[in-house]
Amino acid sequence: MGRQRLPWREVAIREIRPETPSAKTLVLDVPGWPGHAAGQHVDIRLTAEDGYQAQRSYSIASAPGEPDVELTVERIDDGEVSPYLTEEVGPGDGFELRGPIGGYFVWDPARDEPVLLVGGGSGLAPLMAMLRHRRATGTAVDARLLLSARTLEDVLYRDELEELAADGETAPPVVRITLTREDPPPGWSGFRGRIDRDMLTELGLPPTERPRAYVCGPTPFVEEAARLLVELGHEPARVHTERFGPTGG
Amino acid sequence: MESGSLHTDGNEIGGVLAEVFAVEMTAAGRVCQSCGLDSQVGAHRLYHGAGFVLRCPGCGELAAVIAALPGRNVISLHGTWSIARTSE
Repeated sequence: MGRQRLPWREVAIREIRPETPSAKTLVLDVPGWPGHAAGQHVDIRLTAEDGYQAQRSYSIASAPGEPDVELTVERIDDGEVSPYLTEEVGPGDGFELRGPIGGYFVWDPARDEPVLLVGGGSGLAPLMAMLRHRRATGTAVDARLLLSARTLEDVLYRDELEELAADGETAPPVVRITLTREDPPPGWSGFRGRIDRDMLTELGLPPTERPRAYVCGPTPFVEEAARLLVELGHEPARVHTERFGPTGG
Repeated sequence: MESGSLHTDGNEIGGVLAEVFAVEMTAAGRVCQSCGLDSQVGAHRLYHGAGFVLRCPGCGELAAVIAALPGRNVISLHGTWSIARTSE
């Protein structure tokens, strides 16, 4: 008893890492951080000098157990918060944060079930926390990621994804990418176009393997991917979804 | 704008629900009194307006209304909610 309600904490940016032309990862110092589970998010709150406040949710991209809390922020051009977080702030700047938050869109490696990850754009962030956690725990649970990105340049954590998928030490995850807005570069062996049944089928882990699926991205992407998974025969209760919408900026 | 394009889902209000209920709520179950669907709060549709409106992912029936007022949050629940909390 006497459980604390979710407190707002003052946090400071320690480092900023560019990820793509429009996305940056903020590495945060969070005093008293209680630790998190893969897939959870935080709320952040910015307060202007006149007292106006804006609040947004961001997925935690770093793995549980890592010392840092990392958030990847994609700039939405007409957004209210993301242009500030991607263009204006620097190391030492701070804001308020509360978390970790969430229990539905969370992956627990102890479940020992295969995992099917489907991400659209910056919806990769919480799925990356899962893949990073999977590597850190050394579990050989079958994991497959299908990522939809506009262009190859827009793929978050691209080098790390390649390393993860090539890792020979433990069973590497299967990573497949589909590009929706450009002609693929020469030698491209990934998919092209919007996510569809064939891609999900080729990705593997059919319903008979009873995977747990995590789908994250913009609302229309998530609706479509979740619909396709259920149509392919996956149990709706095993398809976990997280959407971000027009106010996400 | 396409209708329905303004929704996200119940994950987004995990923070405000945890503040009010002092427990993680996105994994809580809710049975819809309209269509009978049993689904978790995180899977519900969330509509943004002056506050938030949470709706059944199956039929769109009202599940909760969340009003953020200065200094307090007011939540009205609809349907049958099942809130589990690990005992200590």
